Amino acid sequence: MNGALEATLRAVGGPLVAVGRHVFDIYSVFAQVVTALLKGAVRWREVFRQAYLIGNRSLFFITVTLGFLGLISVYQVASQIQRILPDFTMMGPAFIQLMWREFAPTITGLMVATRVGSGIAAEIGSMVVTEQVDALRMCNADPVRYLIVPRTIASAVMLVMLTIYAVLVATLAGMALADVVFDVSPSTFVSLQLVSPRDVALGLVKAFSYGFWIPIVAGQAGLAASGGSAGVGWATTRAVVSSSFAVILLDFIISGIGYAVFNL
Amino acid sequence: MTAPVAIRCEDLGKRFDDAWVLRGVDLEVRRGEVLGVIGPGGHGKSVLLKCLAGLLTPDAGRVLVDGEDLARLGPLGLARVREQYGYVFQNYALFDFMSVRDNVAFPLRQQAHLPDAEIDARVAARLAEVGLAHALDLLPRELSGGMKKRVGLARATVGDPAIALYDDPSAGLDPVTSSKIFQLIARMHARRPDAATVVVSHDVDRMRAICDRYVMLERGRVVFVGAESALGDAPEVVAAFFGGAERAPTGGG
Ligand SMILES: Nc1ncnc2c1ncn2[C@@H]1O[C@H](COP(=O)(O)OP(=O)(O)OP(=O)(O)O)[C@@H](O)[C@H]1O
Ligand SMILES: [Mg+2]
Repeated sequence: MNGALEATLRAVGGPLVAVGRHVFDIYSVFAQVVTALLKGAVRWREVFRQAYLIGNRSLFFITVTLGFLGLISVYQVASQIQRILPDFTMMGPAFIQLMWREFAPTITGLMVATRVGSGIAAEIGSMVVTEQVDALRMCNADPVRYLIVPRTIASAVMLVMLTIYAVLVATLAGMALADVVFDVSPSTFVSLQLVSPRDVALGLVKAFSYGFWIPIVAGQAGLAASGGSAGVGWATTRAVVSSSFAVILLDFIISGIGYAVFNL
Repeated sequence: MTAPVAIRCEDLGKRFDDAWVLRGVDLEVRRGEVLGVIGPGGHGKSVLLKCLAGLLTPDAGRVLVDGEDLARLGPLGLARVREQYGYVFQNYALFDFMSVRDNVAFPLRQQAHLPDAEIDARVAARLAEVGLAHALDLLPRELSGGMKKRVGLARATVGDPAIALYDDPSAGLDPVTSSKIFQLIARMHARRPDAATVVVSHDVDRMRAICDRYVMLERGRVVFVGAESALGDAPEVVAAFFGGAERAPTGGG
Protein backbone atom coordinates (compact mmCIF):
# COMPACT_ATOMS: atom_id res chain seq x y z
CA MET A 1 0.00 0.00 0.00
CA ASN A 2 2.72 2.35 1.06
CA GLY A 3 4.84 1.27 -1.88
CA ALA A 4 2.00 1.97 -4.30
CA LEU A 5 1.50 5.41 -2.80
CA GLU A 6 5.15 6.18 -3.05
CA ALA A 7 5.28 4.96 -6.65
CA THR A 8 2.29 7.15 -7.51
CA LEU A 9 3.80 10.20 -5.83
CA ARG A 10 7.04 9.53 -7.61
CA ALA A 11 5.31 9.14 -10.98
CA VAL A 12 3.39 12.40 -10.53
CA GLY A 13 6.05 14.29 -8.61
CA GLY A 14 9.03 13.53 -10.83
CA PRO A 15 7.70 15.26 -13.95
CA LEU A 16 6.30 18.10 -11.82
CA VAL A 17 9.69 18.72 -10.27
CA ALA A 18 11.28 18.58 -13.73
CA VAL A 19 8.79 21.11 -15.11
CA GLY A 20 9.30 23.32 -12.05
CA ARG A 21 13.07 23.28 -12.50
CA HIS A 22 12.69 24.00 -16.22
CA VAL A 23 10.45 27.01 -15.52
CA PHE A 24 12.88 28.23 -12.87
CA ASP A 25 15.84 27.94 -15.29
CA ILE A 26 13.95 29.92 -17.93
CA TYR A 27 13.02 32.53 -15.36
CA SER A 28 16.64 32.84 -14.31
CA VAL A 29 17.73 33.50 -17.91
CA PHE A 30 14.91 36.06 -18.16
CA ALA A 31 16.18 37.80 -15.02
CA GLN A 32 19.72 37.92 -16.40
CA VAL A 33 18.45 39.35 -19.71
CA VAL A 34 16.49 42.06 -17.92
CA THR A 35 19.51 42.91 -15.74
CA ALA A 36 21.73 43.21 -18.79
CA LEU A 37 19.17 45.40 -20.55
CA LEU A 38 18.88 47.68 -17.52
CA LYS A 39 22.65 48.03 -17.44
CA GLY A 40 22.54 48.91 -21.13
CA ALA A 41 25.23 46.43 -22.09
CA VAL A 42 23.98 45.64 -25.58
CA ARG A 43 26.00 44.76 -28.68
CA TRP A 44 23.98 46.72 -31.23
CA ARG A 45 25.80 45.43 -34.28
CA GLU A 46 24.92 41.91 -33.27
CA VAL A 47 21.31 43.01 -32.71
CA PHE A 48 21.13 44.23 -36.33
CA ARG A 49 22.77 41.09 -37.65
CA GLN A 50 20.33 38.90 -35.73
CA ALA A 51 17.37 41.03 -36.82
CA TYR A 52 18.38 40.53 -40.43
CA LEU A 53 18.75 36.77 -39.93
CA ILE A 54 15.39 36.47 -38.18
CA GLY A 55 13.62 38.43 -40.91
CA ASN A 56 15.37 36.46 -43.58
CA ARG A 57 14.52 33.12 -42.04
CA SER A 58 10.85 33.97 -41.47
CA LEU A 59 9.65 36.15 -44.33
CA PHE A 60 8.92 33.42 -46.85
CA PHE A 61 7.17 31.16 -44.35
CA ILE A 62 5.05 33.97 -43.01
CA THR A 63 4.04 35.06 -46.51
CA VAL A 64 2.92 31.55 -47.41
CA THR A 65 1.27 30.69 -44.11
CA LEU A 66 -0.58 33.94 -43.58
CA GLY A 67 -1.55 34.06 -47.26
CA PHE A 68 -3.21 30.66 -46.98
CA LEU A 69 -4.73 31.56 -43.62
CA GLY A 70 -6.31 34.62 -45.24
CA LEU A 71 -7.67 32.60 -48.14
CA ILE A 72 -9.03 29.77 -46.04
CA SER A 73 -10.63 31.81 -43.28
CA VAL A 74 -12.34 34.20 -45.67
CA TYR A 75 -13.60 31.29 -47.74
CA GLN A 76 -15.01 29.49 -44.69
CA VAL A 77 -16.65 32.55 -43.17
CA ALA A 78 -18.01 33.81 -46.47
CA SER A 79 -19.57 30.41 -47.24
CA GLN A 80 -21.44 30.53 -43.94
CA ILE A 81 -22.54 34.12 -44.41
CA GLN A 82 -23.75 33.34 -47.91
CA ARG A 83 -26.11 30.67 -46.56
CA ILE A 84 -27.49 32.63 -43.59
CA LEU A 85 -27.49 36.35 -44.31
CA PRO A 86 -26.05 37.24 -47.66
CA ASP A 87 -24.58 40.51 -46.42
CA PHE A 88 -20.82 40.70 -46.68
CA THR A 89 -20.29 44.27 -45.52
CA MET A 90 -18.99 43.42 -42.04
CA MET A 91 -16.91 40.43 -43.10
CA GLY A 92 -13.78 42.34 -44.10
CA PRO A 93 -13.70 44.61 -41.04
CA ALA A 94 -14.26 41.67 -38.67
CA PHE A 95 -11.58 39.69 -40.47
CA ILE A 96 -9.05 42.49 -40.19
CA GLN A 97 -9.85 43.01 -36.53
CA LEU A 98 -9.39 39.30 -35.79
CA MET A 99 -6.11 39.31 -37.70
CA TRP A 100 -4.75 42.19 -35.66
CA ARG A 101 -5.89 40.92 -32.31
CA GLU A 102 -5.12 37.27 -32.63
CA PHE A 103 -4.09 35.46 -35.77
CA ALA A 104 -1.33 37.61 -37.22
CA PRO A 105 0.72 37.90 -34.01
CA THR A 106 0.12 34.37 -32.79
CA ILE A 107 0.65 32.50 -36.06
CA THR A 108 3.72 34.64 -36.74
CA GLY A 109 4.89 33.95 -33.19
CA LEU A 110 4.50 30.21 -33.69
CA MET A 111 6.39 30.37 -36.99
CA VAL A 112 9.24 32.28 -35.38
CA ALA A 113 9.20 29.93 -32.38
CA THR A 114 9.81 26.92 -34.60
CA ARG A 115 12.00 28.45 -37.24
CA VAL A 116 14.09 30.88 -35.19
CA GLY A 117 13.80 29.14 -31.81
CA SER A 118 15.25 25.93 -33.21
CA GLY A 119 18.10 27.84 -34.83
CA ILE A 120 18.98 29.64 -31.60
CA ALA A 121 18.94 26.41 -29.57
CA ALA A 122 21.05 24.57 -32.13
CA GLU A 123 23.58 27.37 -32.38
CA ILE A 124 23.97 27.92 -28.63
CA GLY A 125 23.73 24.19 -27.88
CA SER A 126 26.58 23.36 -30.23
CA MET A 127 28.62 26.15 -28.68
CA VAL A 128 28.04 24.52 -25.30
CA VAL A 129 29.08 21.02 -26.32
CA THR A 130 32.18 22.32 -28.15
CA GLU A 131 33.18 24.28 -25.01
CA GLN A 132 32.85 27.64 -26.80
CA VAL A 133 30.54 28.81 -24.05
CA ASP A 134 33.18 27.87 -21.48
CA ALA A 135 35.69 29.83 -23.54
CA LEU A 136 33.34 32.84 -23.48
CA ARG A 137 33.12 32.55 -19.71
CA MET A 138 36.89 32.41 -19.40
CA CYS A 139 37.08 35.68 -21.35
CA ASN A 140 34.49 37.19 -18.99
CA ALA A 141 31.89 37.33 -21.73
CA ASP A 142 28.69 36.26 -20.00
CA PRO A 143 26.89 33.83 -22.36
CA VAL A 144 23.43 35.19 -21.59
CA ARG A 145 24.51 38.76 -22.14
CA TYR A 146 26.67 37.92 -25.11
CA LEU A 147 24.44 35.44 -26.96
CA ILE A 148 20.85 35.78 -25.77
CA VAL A 149 20.39 39.51 -25.12
CA PRO A 150 20.98 40.61 -28.75
CA ARG A 151 18.62 37.91 -29.95
CA THR A 152 15.81 38.97 -27.61
CA ILE A 153 15.92 42.58 -28.81
CA ALA A 154 16.20 41.59 -32.46
CA SER A 155 13.43 39.05 -32.23
CA ALA A 156 11.05 41.33 -30.30
CA VAL A 157 11.45 44.12 -32.83
CA MET A 158 11.31 41.80 -35.83
CA LEU A 159 8.21 40.02 -34.58
CA VAL A 160 6.41 43.36 -34.36
CA MET A 161 7.40 44.17 -37.94
CA LEU A 162 6.60 40.69 -39.18
CA THR A 163 3.18 40.87 -37.52
CA ILE A 164 2.35 44.09 -39.36
CA TYR A 165 3.50 42.43 -42.55
CA ALA A 166 1.44 39.34 -41.70
CA VAL A 167 -1.73 41.42 -41.33
CA LEU A 168 -1.04 42.94 -44.73
CA VAL A 169 -0.48 39.61 -46.43
CA ALA A 170 -3.53 37.97 -44.88
CA THR A 171 -5.72 40.96 -45.68
CA LEU A 172 -4.57 41.07 -49.29
CA ALA A 173 -5.14 37.34 -49.71
CA GLY A 174 -8.56 37.51 -48.05
CA MET A 175 -9.49 40.54 -50.10
CA ALA A 176 -8.55 38.84 -53.34
CA LEU A 177 -10.54 35.73 -52.52
CA ALA A 178 -13.58 37.73 -51.39
CA ASP A 179 -13.46 39.67 -54.63
CA VAL A 180 -12.99 36.71 -56.99
CA VAL A 181 -15.21 34.08 -55.35
CA PHE A 182 -17.87 36.09 -53.49
CA ASP A 183 -17.87 39.27 -55.51
CA VAL A 184 -17.11 41.49 -52.49
CA SER A 185 -15.36 44.62 -53.72
CA PRO A 186 -11.95 45.43 -52.20
CA SER A 187 -13.24 48.76 -50.98
CA THR A 188 -15.97 46.99 -48.97
CA PHE A 189 -13.55 44.35 -47.67
CA VAL A 190 -10.72 46.60 -46.64
CA SER A 191 -12.31 48.80 -44.04
CA LEU A 192 -10.90 49.68 -40.69
CA GLN A 193 -14.20 50.57 -39.09
CA LEU A 194 -13.97 47.76 -36.52
CA VAL A 195 -10.25 48.13 -35.86
CA SER A 196 -9.51 50.40 -32.94
CA PRO A 197 -6.03 51.48 -31.87
CA ARG A 198 -6.52 49.18 -28.88
CA ASP A 199 -6.84 46.16 -31.17
CA VAL A 200 -3.63 47.11 -32.91
CA ALA A 201 -1.93 47.72 -29.58
CA LEU A 202 -3.08 44.34 -28.25
CA GLY A 203 -1.70 42.58 -31.33
CA LEU A 204 1.60 44.39 -31.20
CA VAL A 205 2.03 43.84 -27.46
CA LYS A 206 1.50 40.13 -28.09
CA ALA A 207 4.02 40.16 -30.93
CA PHE A 208 6.60 41.99 -28.86
CA SER A 209 6.20 39.63 -25.91
CA TYR A 210 6.45 36.50 -28.06
CA GLY A 211 9.53 37.92 -29.73
CA PHE A 212 11.13 38.75 -26.41
CA TRP A 213 10.49 35.37 -24.83
CA ILE A 214 11.29 33.03 -27.73
CA PRO A 215 15.09 33.60 -27.58
CA ILE A 216 15.00 33.31 -23.78
CA VAL A 217 13.21 29.96 -23.86
CA ALA A 218 15.19 28.65 -26.84
CA GLY A 219 18.48 30.03 -25.57
CA GLN A 220 17.99 28.41 -22.20
CA ALA A 221 17.38 25.08 -23.95
CA GLY A 222 20.64 25.60 -25.85
CA LEU A 223 22.62 26.51 -22.74
CA ALA A 224 21.30 23.41 -20.99
CA ALA A 225 22.50 21.13 -23.82
CA SER A 226 24.98 18.45 -22.86
CA GLY A 227 26.63 15.43 -24.32
CA GLY A 228 27.54 15.94 -27.97
CA SER A 229 25.36 16.18 -31.07
CA ALA A 230 22.57 14.10 -29.54
CA GLY A 231 22.35 16.70 -26.77
CA VAL A 232 22.09 19.47 -29.34
CA GLY A 233 19.30 17.65 -31.16
CA TRP A 234 17.43 17.16 -27.93
CA ALA A 235 17.90 20.81 -26.97
CA THR A 236 16.55 21.90 -30.36
CA THR A 237 13.43 19.80 -29.98
CA ARG A 238 12.90 21.09 -26.48
CA ALA A 239 13.34 24.66 -27.67
CA VAL A 240 10.65 24.29 -30.34
CA VAL A 241 8.18 22.64 -27.99
CA SER A 242 8.79 25.05 -25.11
CA SER A 243 8.83 28.23 -27.16
CA SER A 244 5.66 27.29 -29.06
CA PHE A 245 4.05 26.55 -25.73
CA ALA A 246 5.31 29.87 -24.41
CA VAL A 247 3.63 31.66 -27.35
CA ILE A 248 0.28 30.00 -26.61
CA LEU A 249 0.62 30.69 -22.89
CA LEU A 250 1.51 34.35 -23.47
CA ASP A 251 -1.42 34.67 -25.87
CA PHE A 252 -3.71 33.39 -23.14
CA ILE A 253 -2.19 35.63 -20.45
CA ILE A 254 -2.12 38.81 -22.54
CA SER A 255 -5.63 38.25 -23.92
CA GLY A 256 -6.84 37.59 -20.38
CA ILE A 257 -5.21 40.71 -18.97
CA GLY A 258 -6.42 42.72 -21.95
CA TYR A 259 -9.97 41.57 -21.35
CA ALA A 260 -10.00 41.81 -17.55
CA VAL A 261 -8.04 45.02 -17.05
CA PHE A 262 -8.39 47.04 -20.23
CA ASN A 263 -11.72 45.64 -21.36
CA LEU A 264 -10.28 44.93 -24.80
CA MET B 1 61.11 27.64 -2.81
CA THR B 2 58.06 29.08 -1.06
CA ALA B 3 56.47 31.03 -3.87
CA PRO B 4 52.92 32.16 -3.10
CA VAL B 5 50.14 29.67 -3.81
CA ALA B 6 47.97 30.73 -6.76
CA ILE B 7 45.42 27.92 -6.63
CA ARG B 8 44.68 25.56 -3.79
CA CYS B 9 42.23 22.66 -3.88
CA GLU B 10 40.99 21.36 -0.57
CA ASP B 11 39.34 17.96 -0.51
CA LEU B 12 37.91 18.77 -3.93
CA GLY B 13 35.19 16.41 -5.18
CA LYS B 14 33.08 16.52 -8.33
CA ARG B 15 30.39 14.15 -9.44
CA PHE B 16 28.15 13.76 -12.47
CA ASP B 17 24.86 12.17 -11.42
CA ASP B 18 26.01 9.51 -8.99
CA ALA B 19 29.50 8.95 -10.33
CA TRP B 20 32.29 10.74 -8.49
CA VAL B 21 34.80 11.89 -11.09
CA LEU B 22 37.08 13.66 -8.61
CA ARG B 23 37.44 12.66 -4.97
CA GLY B 24 39.41 14.20 -2.13
CA VAL B 25 41.81 16.12 -4.34
CA ASP B 26 44.25 18.25 -2.33
CA LEU B 27 46.52 20.28 -4.50
CA GLU B 28 48.51 23.49 -4.70
CA VAL B 29 49.68 25.37 -7.74
CA ARG B 30 52.35 27.93 -6.89
CA ARG B 31 53.24 31.09 -8.70
CA GLY B 32 56.14 30.53 -11.03
CA GLU B 33 55.79 26.78 -11.30
CA VAL B 34 54.69 24.54 -14.13
CA LEU B 35 52.59 21.70 -12.81
CA GLY B 36 52.06 18.68 -15.04
CA VAL B 37 48.83 16.70 -14.70
CA ILE B 38 48.97 13.15 -15.95
CA GLY B 39 46.78 10.11 -15.74
CA PRO B 40 44.83 7.68 -17.86
CA GLY B 41 42.13 8.98 -20.22
CA GLY B 42 38.77 9.64 -18.62
CA HIS B 43 40.08 9.76 -15.06
CA GLY B 44 39.23 13.40 -14.40
CA LYS B 45 42.07 15.61 -15.67
CA SER B 46 39.88 17.91 -17.75
CA VAL B 47 37.26 18.04 -15.00
CA LEU B 48 40.00 19.07 -12.55
CA LEU B 49 41.13 21.87 -14.86
CA LYS B 50 37.55 23.13 -15.21
CA CYS B 51 37.18 23.15 -11.45
CA LEU B 52 40.40 25.15 -11.15
CA ALA B 53 38.93 27.71 -13.54
CA GLY B 54 35.53 27.85 -11.84
CA LEU B 55 33.80 26.46 -14.92
CA LEU B 56 32.52 23.53 -12.85
CA THR B 57 31.37 23.94 -9.27
CA PRO B 58 32.74 21.39 -6.82
CA ASP B 59 30.31 18.99 -5.15
CA ALA B 60 32.69 18.64 -2.23
CA GLY B 61 35.57 20.68 -0.87
CA ARG B 62 36.63 23.95 -2.41
CA VAL B 63 38.96 25.70 -4.82
CA LEU B 64 40.79 28.78 -3.58
CA VAL B 65 42.45 31.27 -5.91
CA ASP B 66 44.69 33.68 -4.02
CA GLY B 67 42.90 32.49 -0.92
CA GLU B 68 39.39 33.22 -2.23
CA ASP B 69 36.84 30.43 -2.55
CA LEU B 70 35.64 30.46 -6.17
CA ALA B 71 32.22 29.12 -5.23
CA ARG B 72 31.58 32.09 -2.91
CA LEU B 73 32.81 34.85 -5.18
CA GLY B 74 29.70 35.83 -7.09
CA PRO B 75 29.78 36.96 -10.72
CA LEU B 76 31.82 40.12 -10.24
CA GLY B 77 34.44 38.49 -8.06
CA LEU B 78 34.67 35.57 -10.44
CA ALA B 79 35.12 37.96 -13.36
CA ARG B 80 37.94 39.70 -11.52
CA VAL B 81 39.67 36.40 -10.77
CA ARG B 82 39.23 35.18 -14.35
CA GLU B 83 41.10 38.15 -15.74
CA GLN B 84 44.17 36.30 -14.51
CA TYR B 85 43.38 33.16 -16.46
CA GLY B 86 44.29 31.78 -19.82
CA TYR B 87 42.70 28.46 -20.75
CA VAL B 88 43.59 26.20 -23.69
CA PHE B 89 40.69 23.82 -24.15
CA GLN B 90 41.17 20.18 -25.05
CA ASN B 91 38.92 20.50 -28.10
CA TYR B 92 40.16 23.95 -29.17
CA ALA B 93 36.83 25.68 -28.38
CA LEU B 94 37.56 28.34 -31.00
CA PHE B 95 34.60 30.65 -31.66
CA ASP B 96 33.49 29.22 -34.97
CA PHE B 97 31.70 32.39 -36.08
CA MET B 98 34.85 34.52 -35.79
CA SER B 99 38.04 34.74 -37.81
CA VAL B 100 41.35 33.65 -36.30
CA ARG B 101 42.21 37.30 -35.73
CA ASP B 102 38.97 37.99 -33.85
CA ASN B 103 39.31 34.82 -31.80
CA VAL B 104 42.71 35.89 -30.53
CA ALA B 105 41.64 39.50 -30.06
CA PHE B 106 38.55 38.46 -28.10
CA PRO B 107 40.02 38.25 -24.58
CA LEU B 108 41.79 41.58 -25.07
CA ARG B 109 38.62 43.25 -26.32
CA GLN B 110 36.62 41.83 -23.41
CA GLN B 111 39.04 42.62 -20.62
CA ALA B 112 41.94 44.83 -21.43
CA HIS B 113 40.32 48.08 -22.64
CA LEU B 114 43.20 48.74 -25.01
CA PRO B 115 43.05 50.92 -28.11
CA ASP B 116 42.18 48.97 -31.27
CA ALA B 117 45.55 49.55 -32.89
CA GLU B 118 47.32 48.14 -29.85
CA ILE B 119 45.06 45.08 -29.86
CA ASP B 120 45.67 44.50 -33.57
CA ALA B 121 49.41 44.76 -33.09
CA ARG B 122 49.44 42.33 -30.18
CA VAL B 123 47.24 39.84 -31.97
CA ALA B 124 49.38 39.93 -35.09
CA ALA B 125 52.56 39.53 -33.06
CA ARG B 126 51.19 36.60 -31.06
CA LEU B 127 49.90 34.84 -34.16
CA ALA B 128 53.24 35.32 -35.86
CA GLU B 129 54.88 33.79 -32.83
CA VAL B 130 52.78 30.63 -33.15
CA GLY B 131 53.52 30.56 -36.88
CA LEU B 132 50.09 31.61 -38.10
CA ALA B 133 50.78 35.08 -39.47
CA HIS B 134 49.26 33.96 -42.77
CA ALA B 135 46.04 32.67 -41.23
CA LEU B 136 44.70 35.88 -39.70
CA ASP B 137 41.55 36.02 -41.77
CA LEU B 138 40.70 32.33 -41.94
CA LEU B 139 37.76 30.86 -40.08
CA PRO B 140 38.30 28.03 -37.60
CA ARG B 141 36.68 25.49 -39.93
CA GLU B 142 39.39 26.21 -42.50
CA LEU B 143 42.20 25.21 -40.11
CA SER B 144 43.89 21.89 -39.43
CA GLY B 145 43.89 20.42 -35.93
CA GLY B 146 47.39 21.63 -35.20
CA MET B 147 46.58 25.12 -36.42
CA LYS B 148 43.48 25.20 -34.22
CA LYS B 149 45.56 24.19 -31.22
CA ARG B 150 47.99 27.01 -31.93
CA VAL B 151 45.17 29.53 -32.32
CA GLY B 152 43.73 28.30 -29.01
CA LEU B 153 47.16 28.75 -27.46
CA ALA B 154 47.50 32.24 -28.88
CA ARG B 155 44.03 33.20 -27.64
CA ALA B 156 44.68 31.88 -24.14
CA THR B 157 48.04 33.58 -23.76
CA VAL B 158 47.61 36.83 -25.66
CA GLY B 159 47.05 38.70 -22.40
CA ASP B 160 50.08 37.07 -20.73
CA PRO B 161 47.89 35.48 -18.06
CA ALA B 162 49.06 35.00 -14.48
CA ILE B 163 47.41 31.57 -14.41
CA ALA B 164 47.68 29.46 -17.55
CA LEU B 165 45.83 26.17 -17.95
CA TYR B 166 46.65 23.91 -20.90
CA ASP B 167 44.39 20.92 -21.49
CA ASP B 168 46.22 18.36 -23.60
CA PRO B 169 47.80 20.93 -25.90
CA SER B 170 49.53 18.37 -28.12
CA ALA B 171 46.80 15.72 -28.39
CA GLY B 172 46.56 14.19 -31.82
CA LEU B 173 49.42 16.20 -33.29
CA ASP B 174 52.48 15.02 -35.15
CA PRO B 175 55.77 14.97 -33.19
CA VAL B 176 57.16 18.10 -34.81
CA THR B 177 54.06 20.16 -34.09
CA SER B 178 53.88 18.72 -30.56
CA SER B 179 57.43 19.83 -29.84
CA LYS B 180 56.63 23.24 -31.20
CA ILE B 181 53.59 23.51 -28.94
CA PHE B 182 55.63 22.61 -25.86
CA GLN B 183 58.32 25.12 -26.89
CA LEU B 184 55.62 27.75 -27.11
CA ILE B 185 54.34 26.89 -23.65
CA ALA B 186 57.88 27.21 -22.32
CA ARG B 187 58.24 30.55 -24.04
CA MET B 188 54.95 31.86 -22.63
CA HIS B 189 56.10 30.80 -19.19
CA ALA B 190 59.47 32.47 -19.65
CA ARG B 191 57.73 35.67 -20.61
CA ARG B 192 55.74 35.68 -17.40
CA PRO B 193 57.93 33.82 -14.89
CA ASP B 194 55.57 34.48 -11.99
CA ALA B 195 52.73 32.71 -13.78
CA ALA B 196 51.21 29.56 -12.35
CA THR B 197 50.97 27.08 -15.21
CA VAL B 198 49.13 23.77 -15.31
CA VAL B 199 49.67 21.43 -18.26
CA VAL B 200 47.55 18.34 -18.76
CA SER B 201 49.17 15.93 -21.17
CA HIS B 202 49.94 12.32 -21.98
CA ASP B 203 53.24 13.35 -23.48
CA VAL B 204 55.47 12.68 -20.47
CA ASP B 205 58.69 12.98 -22.43
CA ARG B 206 57.94 16.47 -23.62
CA MET B 207 56.50 17.47 -20.24
CA ARG B 208 59.90 16.73 -18.68
CA ALA B 209 61.33 19.75 -20.44
CA ILE B 210 58.92 22.19 -18.83
CA CYS B 211 57.26 20.74 -15.73
CA ASP B 212 58.59 21.36 -12.23
CA ARG B 213 56.16 19.02 -10.49
CA TYR B 214 53.57 16.46 -11.44
CA VAL B 215 50.19 15.33 -10.24
CA MET B 216 48.87 11.98 -11.28
CA LEU B 217 45.15 11.32 -11.19
CA GLU B 218 43.69 7.87 -11.18
CA ARG B 219 39.95 7.33 -10.92
CA GLY B 220 39.63 10.89 -9.73
CA ARG B 221 42.09 10.53 -6.87
CA VAL B 222 45.56 11.97 -6.60
CA VAL B 223 47.97 9.03 -6.56
CA PHE B 224 51.14 11.07 -6.82
CA VAL B 225 52.28 14.66 -6.33
CA GLY B 226 55.86 15.77 -6.61
CA ALA B 227 58.88 16.18 -8.79
CA GLU B 228 60.08 13.31 -10.93
CA SER B 229 63.00 12.83 -8.53
CA ALA B 230 60.43 11.78 -5.89
CA LEU B 231 59.20 8.94 -8.07
CA GLY B 232 61.10 6.40 -6.02
CA ASP B 233 58.45 6.47 -3.31
CA ALA B 234 55.56 6.53 -5.75
CA PRO B 235 53.21 3.61 -6.38
CA GLU B 236 54.08 1.38 -9.29
CA VAL B 237 51.35 2.73 -11.61
CA VAL B 238 52.96 6.14 -11.46
CA ALA B 239 56.41 4.87 -12.28
CA ALA B 240 54.89 2.89 -15.12
CA PHE B 241 53.30 6.02 -16.47
CA PHE B 242 56.60 7.83 -16.50
CA GLY B 243 58.41 4.82 -17.88
CA GLY B 244 56.21 4.79 -20.95
CA ALA B 245 54.25 2.01 -22.54
CA GLU B 246 57.08 -0.46 -22.89
CA ARG B 247 57.46 -0.95 -19.16
CA ALA B 248 53.91 -1.50 -18.11
CA PRO B 249 50.52 -0.69 -19.57
CA THR B 250 48.06 1.43 -17.59
CA GLY B 251 44.34 0.85 -17.90
CA GLY B 252 42.46 3.47 -19.87
CA GLY B 253 39.08 5.16 -19.36
N1 LIG C 1 29.84 17.30 -18.42
C1 LIG C 1 29.96 16.00 -18.04
N2 LIG C 1 28.87 15.28 -17.76
C2 LIG C 1 28.97 13.99 -17.38
N3 LIG C 1 30.12 13.33 -17.25
C3 LIG C 1 31.25 13.99 -17.51
C4 LIG C 1 31.23 15.36 -17.92
N4 LIG C 1 32.52 15.76 -18.12
C5 LIG C 1 33.29 14.69 -17.83
N5 LIG C 1 32.55 13.62 -17.47
C6 LIG C 1 33.05 12.31 -17.07
O1 LIG C 1 34.10 12.51 -16.17
C7 LIG C 1 35.12 11.59 -16.39
C8 LIG C 1 36.45 12.29 -16.48
O2 LIG C 1 36.47 13.04 -17.67
P1 LIG C 1 37.68 13.96 -18.09
O3 LIG C 1 37.25 14.68 -19.31
O4 LIG C 1 38.12 14.76 -16.94
O5 LIG C 1 38.80 12.90 -18.45
P2 LIG C 1 40.30 13.18 -18.85
O6 LIG C 1 41.14 12.66 -17.76
O7 LIG C 1 40.45 14.59 -19.23
O8 LIG C 1 40.46 12.25 -20.14
P3 LIG C 1 41.31 12.52 -21.47
O9 LIG C 1 42.72 12.26 -21.14
O10 LIG C 1 40.78 11.54 -22.43
O11 LIG C 1 41.05 13.92 -21.86
C9 LIG C 1 34.75 10.79 -17.61
O12 LIG C 1 34.29 9.54 -17.19
C10 LIG C 1 33.66 11.58 -18.23
O13 LIG C 1 32.72 10.72 -18.81
MG1 LIG D 1 40.59 15.61 -20.96
